[in-house]
Amino acid sequence: MLKAKLFQANPNPLQLNIECVSGELHALVGPSGSGKTTALRTIAGLNHAETGKIECDGQLWFEANEVNGVATSLKPAERSCGFLFQQYALFPHLRALENVCIPLYNNFKSLSERRSLAQQWLVRMGIGELAQRLPNQLSGGQQQRVALARALARSPKILLLDEPFSAIDAPTRQGLYKTLAELRKDLNIPILLVTHDLREADLLADRITVIDQGVGLQTAPPQVLFDRPRNSRVAELVGISNKFEGIFSAGKLSWNGNQRIFDVADKGKIPPNTPVAWVIPADGLSLHNEASANTLNASVEQISTLGQIAVIQLRTVEGNHAITWEASAAEVKRLSLEVGKNTYLEIDGSKIHIMPLRPINDPRRFTN
Amino acid sequence: MDIEALLLSLKLALWTLVLILPFGVWVAHSLQSMGKCRSWLEASLALPLVLPPTVLGYYLLVGLGGKTILGIPLVFSFTGILIASLIVNLPFAIQPIQRAFEAINPEILEAAQVSGLSQWQIFRLIELPLAWRGITSAAVLTFAHTLGEFGVILMVGGAIPGETKTVSISIYDKVQSFDTSGAGVLSLILLGTSLIAIALSYGIFGGNPDNTKKWRS
Repeated sequence: MLKAKLFQANPNPLQLNIECVSGELHALVGPSGSGKTTALRTIAGLNHAETGKIECDGQLWFEANEVNGVATSLKPAERSCGFLFQQYALFPHLRALENVCIPLYNNFKSLSERRSLAQQWLVRMGIGELAQRLPNQLSGGQQQRVALARALARSPKILLLDEPFSAIDAPTRQGLYKTLAELRKDLNIPILLVTHDLREADLLADRITVIDQGVGLQTAPPQVLFDRPRNSRVAELVGISNKFEGIFSAGKLSWNGNQRIFDVADKGKIPPNTPVAWVIPADGLSLHNEASANTLNASVEQISTLGQIAVIQLRTVEGNHAITWEASAAEVKRLSLEVGKNTYLEIDGSKIHIMPLRPINDPRRFTN
Repeated sequence: MDIEALLLSLKLALWTLVLILPFGVWVAHSLQSMGKCRSWLEASLALPLVLPPTVLGYYLLVGLGGKTILGIPLVFSFTGILIASLIVNLPFAIQPIQRAFEAINPEILEAAQVSGLSQWQIFRLIELPLAWRGITSAAVLTFAHTLGEFGVILMVGGAIPGETKTVSISIYDKVQSFDTSGAGVLSLILLGTSLIAIALSYGIFGGNPDNTKKWRS
Protein backbone atom coordinates (compact mmCIF):
# COMPACT_ATOMS: atom_id res chain seq x y z
CA MET A 1 0.00 0.00 0.00
CA LEU A 2 1.18 3.51 -0.81
CA LYS A 3 0.48 6.45 1.48
CA ALA A 4 1.76 9.81 0.28
CA LYS A 5 1.16 13.17 1.86
CA LEU A 6 3.00 15.87 -0.03
CA PHE A 7 3.31 19.59 0.42
CA GLN A 8 5.46 22.19 -1.25
CA ALA A 9 5.04 25.87 -2.03
CA ASN A 10 7.76 26.35 -4.67
CA PRO A 11 8.57 26.11 -7.53
CA ASN A 12 5.31 24.31 -8.32
CA PRO A 13 2.76 24.23 -5.50
CA LEU A 14 1.74 20.78 -4.32
CA GLN A 15 -0.79 19.81 -1.69
CA LEU A 16 -1.77 16.23 -2.08
CA ASN A 17 -2.85 13.25 -0.08
CA ILE A 18 -2.86 9.93 -1.93
CA GLU A 19 -3.57 6.43 -0.71
CA CYS A 20 -3.37 3.53 -3.10
CA VAL A 21 -3.86 -0.06 -1.95
CA SER A 22 -2.17 -3.09 -3.50
CA GLY A 23 -3.87 -4.12 -6.71
CA GLU A 24 -5.54 -0.74 -7.12
CA LEU A 25 -5.05 1.41 -10.19
CA HIS A 26 -5.30 5.00 -9.06
CA ALA A 27 -5.36 7.75 -11.68
CA LEU A 28 -4.16 11.31 -11.12
CA VAL A 29 -6.09 13.51 -13.51
CA GLY A 30 -5.80 17.21 -14.17
CA PRO A 31 -5.00 19.80 -16.82
CA SER A 32 -1.46 20.42 -18.09
CA GLY A 33 0.73 21.97 -15.42
CA SER A 34 -1.57 20.87 -12.60
CA GLY A 35 1.21 19.01 -10.77
CA LYS A 36 0.34 15.40 -11.63
CA THR A 37 3.79 14.52 -12.92
CA THR A 38 5.46 16.44 -10.08
CA ALA A 39 3.52 14.29 -7.61
CA LEU A 40 4.61 11.10 -9.36
CA ARG A 41 8.25 12.21 -9.55
CA THR A 42 8.16 13.16 -5.87
CA ILE A 43 6.97 9.67 -4.94
CA ALA A 44 9.79 8.18 -7.05
CA GLY A 45 12.35 10.45 -5.35
CA LEU A 46 13.21 12.39 -8.51
CA ASN A 47 11.72 15.55 -6.93
CA HIS A 48 11.50 16.49 -3.27
CA ALA A 49 8.54 17.90 -1.40
CA GLU A 50 9.15 20.51 1.31
CA THR A 51 7.19 18.58 3.89
CA GLY A 52 5.23 15.38 3.95
CA LYS A 53 5.53 11.64 4.27
CA ILE A 54 5.74 8.80 1.76
CA GLU A 55 5.30 5.23 2.90
CA CYS A 56 5.16 2.20 0.64
CA ASP A 57 4.58 -1.37 1.72
CA GLY A 58 5.35 -0.39 5.32
CA GLN A 59 8.70 1.18 4.44
CA LEU A 60 9.29 4.88 5.03
CA TRP A 61 10.64 6.49 1.86
CA PHE A 62 10.41 10.16 2.76
CA GLU A 63 9.58 12.24 5.80
CA ALA A 64 10.05 15.95 6.35
CA ASN A 65 8.37 18.55 8.49
CA GLU A 66 8.70 22.28 9.03
CA VAL A 67 10.50 21.96 12.37
CA ASN A 68 13.14 19.30 11.72
CA GLY A 69 13.43 19.49 7.94
CA VAL A 70 14.09 16.27 6.03
CA ALA A 71 14.31 13.34 8.44
CA THR A 72 14.26 10.53 5.87
CA SER A 73 14.71 10.63 2.13
CA LEU A 74 15.63 7.46 0.26
CA LYS A 75 17.36 7.83 -3.08
CA PRO A 76 15.33 6.87 -6.17
CA ALA A 77 17.45 3.72 -6.52
CA GLU A 78 16.46 2.64 -3.00
CA ARG A 79 12.70 3.16 -3.41
CA SER A 80 11.84 0.04 -5.39
CA CYS A 81 9.44 1.67 -7.78
CA GLY A 82 8.88 0.94 -11.44
CA PHE A 83 8.59 4.19 -13.38
CA LEU A 84 7.23 4.37 -16.90
CA PHE A 85 8.21 7.64 -18.57
CA GLN A 86 6.04 9.48 -21.07
CA GLN A 87 8.75 9.36 -23.75
CA TYR A 88 9.89 5.83 -22.72
CA ALA A 89 13.45 6.97 -21.75
CA LEU A 90 15.00 3.75 -23.03
CA PHE A 91 18.80 3.56 -23.00
CA PRO A 92 19.49 4.25 -26.69
CA HIS A 93 22.81 2.36 -26.86
CA LEU A 94 21.39 -0.85 -25.39
CA ARG A 95 19.27 -3.48 -27.10
CA ALA A 96 15.76 -4.22 -25.80
CA LEU A 97 17.01 -7.19 -23.78
CA GLU A 98 19.88 -5.19 -22.28
CA ASN A 99 17.51 -2.36 -21.36
CA VAL A 100 15.47 -4.83 -19.30
CA CYS A 101 18.68 -6.28 -17.81
CA ILE A 102 19.65 -2.91 -16.28
CA PRO A 103 17.24 -3.00 -13.27
CA LEU A 104 18.43 -6.55 -12.55
CA TYR A 105 22.08 -5.49 -12.46
CA ASN A 106 22.37 -5.33 -8.67
CA ASN A 107 19.97 -8.17 -7.87
CA PHE A 108 21.47 -10.88 -10.07
CA LYS A 109 25.23 -11.12 -10.41
CA SER A 110 25.13 -13.69 -13.20
CA LEU A 111 24.72 -12.20 -16.68
CA SER A 112 22.97 -15.31 -18.01
CA GLU A 113 20.45 -15.16 -15.17
CA ARG A 114 19.78 -11.47 -15.91
CA ARG A 115 19.35 -12.16 -19.59
CA SER A 116 17.05 -15.10 -19.01
CA LEU A 117 14.80 -13.09 -16.66
CA ALA A 118 14.78 -10.08 -19.01
CA GLN A 119 13.82 -12.35 -21.91
CA GLN A 120 10.93 -13.73 -19.86
CA TRP A 121 9.65 -10.21 -19.27
CA LEU A 122 9.89 -9.34 -22.96
CA VAL A 123 7.97 -12.52 -23.84
CA ARG A 124 5.34 -11.57 -21.27
CA MET A 125 4.99 -8.19 -22.98
CA GLY A 126 4.56 -9.95 -26.32
CA ILE A 127 7.85 -8.71 -27.82
CA GLY A 128 10.18 -11.64 -27.12
CA GLU A 129 11.32 -11.73 -30.75
CA LEU A 130 12.48 -8.08 -30.59
CA ALA A 131 15.04 -8.66 -27.83
CA GLN A 132 18.04 -7.86 -30.02
CA ARG A 133 16.69 -4.61 -31.46
CA LEU A 134 17.95 -1.19 -30.46
CA PRO A 135 15.30 1.32 -29.29
CA ASN A 136 15.49 3.28 -32.56
CA GLN A 137 14.57 0.09 -34.44
CA LEU A 138 11.30 -0.25 -32.48
CA SER A 139 7.91 1.43 -32.96
CA GLY A 140 6.46 3.66 -30.22
CA GLY A 141 4.23 0.89 -28.90
CA GLN A 142 7.10 -1.62 -28.88
CA GLN A 143 9.34 0.86 -27.08
CA GLN A 144 6.63 1.38 -24.49
CA ARG A 145 6.41 -2.38 -23.92
CA VAL A 146 10.18 -2.58 -23.45
CA ALA A 147 9.94 0.35 -21.00
CA LEU A 148 7.13 -1.43 -19.13
CA ALA A 149 9.18 -4.64 -18.96
CA ARG A 150 12.12 -2.61 -17.62
CA ALA A 151 9.90 -0.92 -15.02
CA LEU A 152 8.61 -4.26 -13.77
CA ALA A 153 11.76 -6.37 -14.07
CA ARG A 154 13.00 -5.92 -10.52
CA SER A 155 9.59 -6.62 -8.98
CA PRO A 156 8.91 -3.10 -7.71
CA LYS A 157 6.65 -2.35 -4.77
CA ILE A 158 4.76 0.24 -6.80
CA LEU A 159 4.30 1.03 -10.47
CA LEU A 160 4.23 4.69 -11.53
CA LEU A 161 2.94 5.47 -15.03
CA ASP A 162 3.51 9.00 -16.35
CA GLU A 163 1.12 9.62 -19.25
CA PRO A 164 2.22 6.29 -20.74
CA PHE A 165 -0.25 6.24 -23.62
CA SER A 166 -0.14 9.85 -24.80
CA ALA A 167 2.50 9.38 -27.51
CA ILE A 168 0.95 6.22 -28.97
CA ASP A 169 -1.61 5.81 -31.74
CA ALA A 170 -5.12 4.65 -30.83
CA PRO A 171 -4.96 0.96 -31.96
CA THR A 172 -1.63 0.42 -30.17
CA ARG A 173 -3.07 2.11 -27.11
CA GLN A 174 -5.92 -0.40 -26.98
CA GLY A 175 -3.36 -3.23 -26.97
CA LEU A 176 -1.44 -1.62 -24.12
CA TYR A 177 -4.64 -1.11 -22.11
CA LYS A 178 -5.22 -4.85 -22.41
CA THR A 179 -1.65 -5.65 -21.35
CA LEU A 180 -1.96 -3.33 -18.35
CA ALA A 181 -5.29 -4.87 -17.34
CA GLU A 182 -3.74 -8.37 -17.47
CA LEU A 183 -0.68 -7.27 -15.52
CA ARG A 184 -2.81 -5.75 -12.79
CA LYS A 185 -4.31 -9.12 -11.97
CA ASP A 186 -0.89 -10.72 -11.50
CA LEU A 187 1.14 -7.92 -9.92
CA ASN A 188 -0.95 -7.00 -6.90
CA ILE A 189 0.97 -3.76 -6.24
CA PRO A 190 -0.34 -0.19 -6.15
CA ILE A 191 -0.35 1.40 -9.60
CA LEU A 192 -0.46 5.19 -10.01
CA LEU A 193 -1.38 6.46 -13.46
CA VAL A 194 -0.95 10.09 -14.48
CA THR A 195 -3.13 11.13 -17.38
CA HIS A 196 -4.97 14.14 -18.70
CA ASP A 197 -7.37 11.87 -20.57
CA LEU A 198 -10.50 11.38 -18.49
CA ARG A 199 -11.86 8.62 -20.69
CA GLU A 200 -8.63 6.69 -20.18
CA ALA A 201 -8.83 7.19 -16.41
CA ASP A 202 -12.50 6.18 -16.44
CA LEU A 203 -11.66 3.04 -18.43
CA LEU A 204 -8.66 1.89 -16.38
CA ALA A 205 -8.79 3.32 -12.87
CA ASP A 206 -10.48 2.09 -9.72
CA ARG A 207 -10.26 5.55 -8.24
CA ILE A 208 -9.39 8.97 -9.62
CA THR A 209 -7.82 11.95 -7.87
CA VAL A 210 -8.55 15.23 -9.61
CA ILE A 211 -5.65 17.68 -9.30
CA ASP A 212 -5.69 21.38 -10.06
CA GLN A 213 -2.79 23.78 -9.43
CA GLY A 214 -1.09 21.10 -7.36
CA VAL A 215 -4.05 20.60 -5.05
CA GLY A 216 -5.94 17.31 -4.86
CA LEU A 217 -9.57 18.37 -5.20
CA GLN A 218 -11.39 15.05 -4.96
CA THR A 219 -10.63 11.34 -4.84
CA ALA A 220 -13.42 8.99 -5.82
CA PRO A 221 -14.34 6.08 -8.10
CA PRO A 222 -14.93 7.36 -11.66
CA GLN A 223 -18.72 7.07 -11.58
CA VAL A 224 -18.98 8.93 -8.28
CA LEU A 225 -16.72 11.64 -9.64
CA PHE A 226 -18.87 12.13 -12.72
CA ASP A 227 -22.17 11.97 -10.84
CA ARG A 228 -21.24 13.85 -7.66
CA PRO A 229 -18.27 16.17 -8.19
CA ARG A 230 -17.25 17.79 -4.93
CA ASN A 231 -17.24 21.32 -6.28
CA SER A 232 -17.71 23.45 -9.32
CA ARG A 233 -14.04 23.23 -10.38
CA VAL A 234 -14.07 19.43 -10.25
CA ALA A 235 -17.21 19.41 -12.38
CA GLU A 236 -15.44 21.69 -14.84
CA LEU A 237 -12.30 19.54 -14.90
CA VAL A 238 -14.16 16.27 -15.42
CA GLY A 239 -15.97 17.89 -18.31
CA ILE A 240 -19.54 17.92 -17.00
CA SER A 241 -21.37 20.02 -19.55
CA ASN A 242 -24.69 20.60 -17.77
CA LYS A 243 -23.46 22.74 -14.89
CA PHE A 244 -25.51 25.65 -13.60
CA GLU A 245 -25.75 27.99 -10.66
CA GLY A 246 -28.68 28.52 -8.31
CA ILE A 247 -29.66 29.39 -4.75
CA PHE A 248 -30.07 26.60 -2.22
CA SER A 249 -32.18 26.88 0.89
CA ALA A 250 -33.51 24.09 3.12
CA GLY A 251 -33.74 21.33 0.52
CA LYS A 252 -34.96 23.62 -2.26
CA LEU A 253 -32.89 24.69 -5.22
CA SER A 254 -34.05 27.85 -6.98
CA TRP A 255 -33.03 28.34 -10.58
CA ASN A 256 -33.57 31.31 -12.86
CA GLY A 257 -34.53 33.56 -9.98
CA ASN A 258 -37.44 31.69 -8.48
CA GLN A 259 -38.91 30.47 -11.74
CA ARG A 260 -37.84 26.86 -11.14
CA ILE A 261 -37.60 25.17 -7.78
CA PHE A 262 -36.34 21.62 -7.38
CA ASP A 263 -36.45 19.41 -4.31
CA VAL A 264 -32.86 18.37 -3.72
CA ALA A 265 -31.36 16.12 -1.03
CA ASP A 266 -28.32 17.43 0.88
CA LYS A 267 -26.42 16.63 4.07
CA GLY A 268 -27.72 19.68 5.91
CA LYS A 269 -24.34 21.43 5.84
CA ILE A 270 -25.25 24.25 3.50
CA PRO A 271 -26.50 27.48 5.13
CA PRO A 272 -29.83 28.95 3.88
CA ASN A 273 -29.86 31.13 0.77
CA THR A 274 -26.46 29.94 -0.40
CA PRO A 275 -25.39 30.35 -4.02
CA VAL A 276 -24.38 26.90 -5.26
CA ALA A 277 -23.35 25.14 -8.45
CA TRP A 278 -25.39 22.15 -9.55
CA VAL A 279 -25.05 19.44 -12.16
CA ILE A 280 -27.42 16.99 -13.70
CA PRO A 281 -26.26 13.69 -15.27
CA ALA A 282 -27.53 12.60 -18.69
CA ASP A 283 -30.06 10.16 -17.20
CA GLY A 284 -31.66 13.01 -15.24
CA LEU A 285 -32.82 14.72 -18.44
CA SER A 286 -35.64 13.76 -20.78
CA LEU A 287 -37.35 15.44 -23.76
CA HIS A 288 -41.04 15.46 -24.58
CA ASN A 289 -43.18 16.68 -27.43
CA GLU A 290 -45.83 18.02 -25.10
CA ALA A 291 -45.60 20.45 -22.22
CA SER A 292 -46.39 19.50 -18.63
CA ALA A 293 -46.05 21.14 -15.21
CA ASN A 294 -42.40 20.09 -14.80
CA THR A 295 -41.10 20.83 -18.28
CA LEU A 296 -39.06 23.72 -19.62
CA ASN A 297 -39.48 25.23 -23.02
CA ALA A 298 -36.29 24.72 -25.08
CA SER A 299 -35.24 24.94 -28.70
CA VAL A 300 -32.89 22.60 -30.55
CA GLU A 301 -29.72 24.44 -31.60
CA GLN A 302 -27.58 21.64 -32.96
CA ILE A 303 -27.74 17.88 -33.53
CA SER A 304 -24.48 15.94 -33.93
CA THR A 305 -24.90 12.29 -34.82
CA LEU A 306 -22.03 9.92 -34.09
CA GLY A 307 -23.11 6.46 -35.28
CA GLN A 308 -26.02 5.39 -33.08
CA ILE A 309 -25.47 8.22 -30.58
CA ALA A 310 -26.68 11.78 -31.05
CA VAL A 311 -25.58 14.81 -29.06
CA ILE A 312 -28.25 17.51 -28.98
CA GLN A 313 -27.56 21.09 -27.96
CA LEU A 314 -30.61 22.80 -26.47
CA ARG A 315 -31.25 26.39 -25.42
CA THR A 316 -33.87 27.07 -22.74
CA VAL A 317 -36.29 29.91 -23.35
CA GLU A 318 -36.36 30.57 -19.61
CA GLY A 319 -32.90 31.87 -18.58
CA ASN A 320 -31.27 31.22 -21.97
CA HIS A 321 -29.19 28.26 -20.67
CA ALA A 322 -27.28 25.88 -22.95
CA ILE A 323 -27.98 22.21 -22.19
CA THR A 324 -26.41 19.13 -23.76
CA TRP A 325 -28.48 15.99 -24.07
CA GLU A 326 -27.30 12.63 -25.36
CA ALA A 327 -29.73 10.18 -26.89
CA SER A 328 -29.89 7.30 -29.32
CA ALA A 329 -30.51 8.05 -32.98
CA ALA A 330 -33.83 6.16 -32.62
CA GLU A 331 -34.92 8.52 -29.82
CA VAL A 332 -34.11 11.54 -31.98
CA LYS A 333 -36.25 10.06 -34.73
CA ARG A 334 -39.12 9.26 -32.34
CA LEU A 335 -39.18 12.85 -31.10
CA SER A 336 -38.77 14.17 -34.68
CA LEU A 337 -36.02 16.48 -33.45
CA GLU A 338 -34.52 18.93 -35.88
CA VAL A 339 -32.58 22.18 -35.57
CA GLY A 340 -34.87 25.09 -34.62
CA LYS A 341 -37.67 22.90 -33.29
CA ASN A 342 -39.24 23.74 -29.92
CA THR A 343 -39.29 20.91 -27.41
CA TYR A 344 -39.99 20.33 -23.73
CA LEU A 345 -37.23 19.43 -21.35
CA GLU A 346 -37.82 17.69 -18.04
CA ILE A 347 -35.20 17.77 -15.26
CA ASP A 348 -35.41 15.05 -12.61
CA GLY A 349 -34.75 16.89 -9.33
CA SER A 350 -33.75 13.70 -7.53
CA LYS A 351 -30.74 13.36 -9.88
CA ILE A 352 -29.48 16.88 -9.21
CA HIS A 353 -26.17 17.16 -7.39
CA ILE A 354 -25.38 20.46 -5.70
CA MET A 355 -21.93 21.63 -4.65
CA PRO A 356 -20.07 24.68 -3.38
CA LEU A 357 -18.95 27.26 -5.89
CA ARG A 358 -15.41 27.14 -4.51
CA PRO A 359 -13.09 24.27 -3.52
CA ILE A 360 -13.89 22.45 -0.30
CA ASN A 361 -10.86 23.83 1.57
CA ASP A 362 -11.76 27.40 0.74
CA PRO A 363 -13.55 29.04 3.74
CA ARG A 364 -15.53 31.23 1.34
CA ARG A 365 -16.92 28.23 -0.51
CA PHE A 366 -20.56 28.88 0.40
CA THR A 367 -20.44 32.61 -0.20
CA ASN A 368 -20.41 34.36 -3.50
CA MET B 1 63.91 12.59 -42.74
CA ASP B 2 64.01 13.39 -39.04
CA ILE B 3 62.67 10.09 -37.66
CA GLU B 4 63.79 11.05 -34.15
CA ALA B 5 61.56 14.15 -34.18
CA LEU B 6 58.69 12.17 -35.59
CA LEU B 7 58.94 9.52 -32.88
CA LEU B 8 59.25 12.20 -30.19
CA SER B 9 56.09 13.91 -31.46
CA LEU B 10 54.24 10.57 -31.41
CA LYS B 11 55.51 9.87 -27.89
CA LEU B 12 54.39 13.33 -26.74
CA ALA B 13 50.97 12.95 -28.39
CA LEU B 14 50.39 9.50 -26.87
CA TRP B 15 51.47 10.55 -23.35
CA THR B 16 49.29 13.67 -23.60
CA LEU B 17 46.36 11.50 -24.67
CA VAL B 18 46.84 8.94 -21.92
CA LEU B 19 47.02 11.61 -19.21
CA ILE B 20 44.48 14.13 -20.45
CA LEU B 21 41.59 11.85 -21.44
CA PRO B 22 40.70 10.49 -17.97
CA PHE B 23 41.16 14.00 -16.56
CA GLY B 24 39.01 15.45 -19.37
CA VAL B 25 36.22 12.93 -18.71
CA TRP B 26 36.33 13.68 -14.97
CA VAL B 27 36.30 17.47 -15.42
CA ALA B 28 33.61 17.40 -18.15
CA HIS B 29 31.39 15.19 -15.98
CA SER B 30 31.99 17.27 -12.84
CA LEU B 31 31.12 20.49 -14.67
CA GLN B 32 27.56 19.14 -15.17
CA SER B 33 26.76 19.38 -11.49
CA MET B 34 28.62 22.61 -10.72
CA GLY B 35 26.70 25.68 -9.66
CA LYS B 36 27.82 29.28 -9.71
CA CYS B 37 31.53 28.72 -10.35
CA ARG B 38 30.87 26.66 -13.49
CA SER B 39 31.12 29.59 -15.93
CA TRP B 40 34.38 30.78 -14.38
CA LEU B 41 35.89 27.33 -14.56
CA GLU B 42 34.74 26.82 -18.15
CA ALA B 43 36.25 30.16 -19.13
CA SER B 44 39.57 29.29 -17.46
CA LEU B 45 39.70 25.93 -19.20
CA ALA B 46 39.03 27.58 -22.57
CA LEU B 47 41.76 30.19 -22.04
CA PRO B 48 44.48 28.27 -23.97
CA LEU B 49 42.27 28.60 -27.08
CA VAL B 50 42.59 32.39 -27.18
CA LEU B 51 45.88 32.99 -25.38
CA PRO B 52 48.88 33.59 -27.72
CA PRO B 53 51.18 30.53 -27.48
CA THR B 54 54.10 32.81 -26.66
CA VAL B 55 52.27 34.25 -23.65
CA LEU B 56 51.37 30.80 -22.36
CA GLY B 57 54.93 29.65 -23.15
CA TYR B 58 56.40 32.59 -21.24
CA TYR B 59 54.42 31.85 -18.09
CA LEU B 60 55.25 28.15 -18.27
CA LEU B 61 58.90 29.04 -18.77
CA VAL B 62 58.80 31.17 -15.65
CA GLY B 63 56.70 28.66 -13.71
CA LEU B 64 58.67 25.57 -14.61
CA GLY B 65 62.07 27.22 -14.74
CA GLY B 66 62.93 27.40 -11.07
CA LYS B 67 62.75 24.67 -8.48
CA THR B 68 59.46 22.87 -9.09
CA ILE B 69 57.52 20.38 -6.96
CA LEU B 70 59.70 17.63 -8.42
CA GLY B 71 62.79 19.46 -7.11
CA ILE B 72 64.28 20.08 -10.55
CA PRO B 73 63.66 22.64 -13.30
CA LEU B 74 61.33 21.20 -15.93
CA VAL B 75 62.06 23.56 -18.82
CA PHE B 76 63.98 22.20 -21.79
CA SER B 77 62.96 18.63 -20.89
CA PHE B 78 60.38 16.14 -22.19
CA THR B 79 58.43 16.42 -18.91
CA GLY B 80 58.29 20.19 -19.40
CA ILE B 81 56.87 19.99 -22.91
CA LEU B 82 54.44 17.28 -21.76
CA ILE B 83 53.10 19.61 -19.04
CA ALA B 84 52.87 22.42 -21.62
CA SER B 85 51.08 20.10 -24.03
CA LEU B 86 48.59 19.03 -21.36
CA ILE B 87 47.71 22.64 -20.55
CA VAL B 88 47.42 23.70 -24.19
CA ASN B 89 45.15 20.75 -24.97
CA LEU B 90 42.71 21.20 -22.09
CA PRO B 91 39.95 22.83 -24.18
CA PHE B 92 40.37 20.29 -27.00
CA ALA B 93 40.00 17.41 -24.56
CA ILE B 94 37.26 18.78 -22.31
CA GLN B 95 34.84 20.59 -24.58
CA PRO B 96 33.80 17.71 -26.89
CA ILE B 97 33.32 15.41 -23.89
CA GLN B 98 31.36 18.08 -22.02
CA ARG B 99 29.05 18.60 -25.03
CA ALA B 100 28.55 14.81 -25.26
CA PHE B 101 27.53 14.58 -21.58
CA GLU B 102 25.22 17.56 -21.97
CA ALA B 103 23.52 15.92 -24.95
CA ILE B 104 22.31 12.98 -22.85
CA ASN B 105 18.58 13.29 -22.16
CA PRO B 106 18.20 13.84 -18.38
CA GLU B 107 15.18 11.51 -18.39
CA ILE B 108 17.47 8.63 -19.42
CA LEU B 109 19.59 9.27 -16.35
CA GLU B 110 16.47 9.40 -14.19
CA ALA B 111 15.36 6.09 -15.70
CA ALA B 112 18.72 4.66 -14.65
CA GLN B 113 18.23 6.00 -11.11
CA VAL B 114 14.80 4.45 -10.70
CA SER B 115 16.19 1.22 -12.18
CA GLY B 116 18.30 0.95 -9.02
CA LEU B 117 21.74 1.88 -10.38
CA SER B 118 24.25 3.73 -8.22
CA GLN B 119 25.86 6.96 -9.49
CA TRP B 120 29.03 5.07 -10.44
CA GLN B 121 27.03 2.40 -12.29
CA ILE B 122 25.06 5.08 -14.13
CA PHE B 123 28.35 6.70 -15.18
CA ARG B 124 29.90 3.42 -16.30
CA LEU B 125 26.91 1.73 -17.93
CA ILE B 126 24.94 4.67 -19.32
CA GLU B 127 26.82 7.98 -19.48
CA LEU B 128 30.23 6.79 -20.64
CA PRO B 129 28.91 4.69 -23.57
CA LEU B 130 26.56 7.50 -24.60
CA ALA B 131 29.40 10.05 -24.47
CA TRP B 132 31.74 7.72 -26.35
CA ARG B 133 31.67 9.70 -29.59
CA GLY B 134 32.56 12.91 -27.73
CA ILE B 135 35.46 11.12 -26.05
CA THR B 136 36.71 9.79 -29.41
CA SER B 137 36.43 13.25 -30.89
CA ALA B 138 38.40 14.70 -27.97
CA ALA B 139 41.09 12.04 -28.41
CA VAL B 140 41.46 12.72 -32.15
CA LEU B 141 41.57 16.50 -31.68
CA THR B 142 44.10 16.26 -28.85
CA PHE B 143 46.32 13.84 -30.75
CA ALA B 144 46.33 15.86 -33.97
CA HIS B 145 46.77 19.16 -32.14
CA THR B 146 49.73 17.85 -30.10
CA LEU B 147 51.50 16.63 -33.23
CA GLY B 148 51.25 20.11 -34.72
CA GLU B 149 51.90 22.20 -31.57
CA PHE B 150 54.74 24.66 -32.12
CA GLY B 151 54.84 27.94 -30.18
CA VAL B 152 54.48 26.75 -26.59
CA ILE B 153 56.76 23.73 -27.16
CA LEU B 154 59.47 25.97 -28.61
CA MET B 155 59.22 28.42 -25.71
CA VAL B 156 59.28 25.73 -22.99
CA GLY B 157 61.45 23.08 -24.60
CA GLY B 158 63.65 24.75 -27.17
CA ALA B 159 64.90 22.32 -29.81
CA ILE B 160 66.97 19.63 -28.10
CA PRO B 161 67.14 16.61 -30.43
CA GLY B 162 65.53 13.51 -28.91
CA GLU B 163 64.30 15.49 -25.89
CA THR B 164 62.19 18.44 -27.04
CA LYS B 165 62.64 18.75 -30.79
CA THR B 166 59.25 17.69 -32.16
CA VAL B 167 58.23 17.42 -35.83
CA SER B 168 56.88 20.98 -35.98
CA ILE B 169 60.11 22.39 -34.58
CA SER B 170 62.14 20.19 -36.91
CA ILE B 171 60.16 21.56 -39.90
CA TYR B 172 60.90 25.10 -38.70
CA ASP B 173 64.62 24.28 -38.30
CA LYS B 174 64.77 22.75 -41.78
CA VAL B 175 63.12 25.78 -43.37
CA GLN B 176 65.56 28.05 -41.51
CA SER B 177 68.46 26.04 -42.91
CA PHE B 178 66.92 26.02 -46.45
CA ASP B 179 66.30 22.22 -46.35
CA THR B 180 62.94 22.63 -48.11
CA SER B 181 62.72 19.02 -49.29
CA GLY B 182 63.23 17.72 -45.72
CA ALA B 183 60.63 20.21 -44.42
CA GLY B 184 58.30 19.14 -47.24
CA VAL B 185 58.48 15.44 -46.32
CA LEU B 186 57.78 16.11 -42.64
CA SER B 187 54.97 18.54 -43.51
CA LEU B 188 53.44 15.90 -45.77
CA ILE B 189 53.61 13.34 -42.97
CA LEU B 190 51.89 15.77 -40.56
CA LEU B 191 49.27 16.61 -43.19
CA GLY B 192 48.61 12.89 -43.79
CA THR B 193 48.39 12.11 -40.07
CA SER B 194 45.97 14.99 -39.49
CA LEU B 195 43.82 13.90 -42.43
CA ILE B 196 43.69 10.31 -41.17
CA ALA B 197 42.79 11.53 -37.67
CA ILE B 198 39.97 13.73 -38.95
CA ALA B 199 38.71 11.00 -41.33
CA LEU B 200 38.71 8.54 -38.45
CA SER B 201 36.76 10.99 -36.35
CA TYR B 202 34.18 11.60 -39.11
CA GLY B 203 33.96 7.87 -39.85
CA ILE B 204 32.91 7.25 -36.26
CA PHE B 205 30.44 10.13 -36.34
CA GLY B 206 28.86 8.90 -39.54
CA GLY B 207 28.63 5.24 -38.46
CA ASN B 208 25.34 3.48 -37.71
CA PRO B 209 24.37 2.74 -34.10
CA ASP B 210 25.41 -0.90 -34.51
CA ASN B 211 28.98 0.34 -34.65
CA THR B 212 28.77 1.71 -31.13
CA LYS B 213 30.87 -0.04 -28.58
CA LYS B 214 29.29 -3.15 -27.12
CA TRP B 215 28.56 -2.79 -23.42
CA ARG B 216 27.57 -5.62 -21.18
CA SER B 217 24.54 -4.76 -19.12
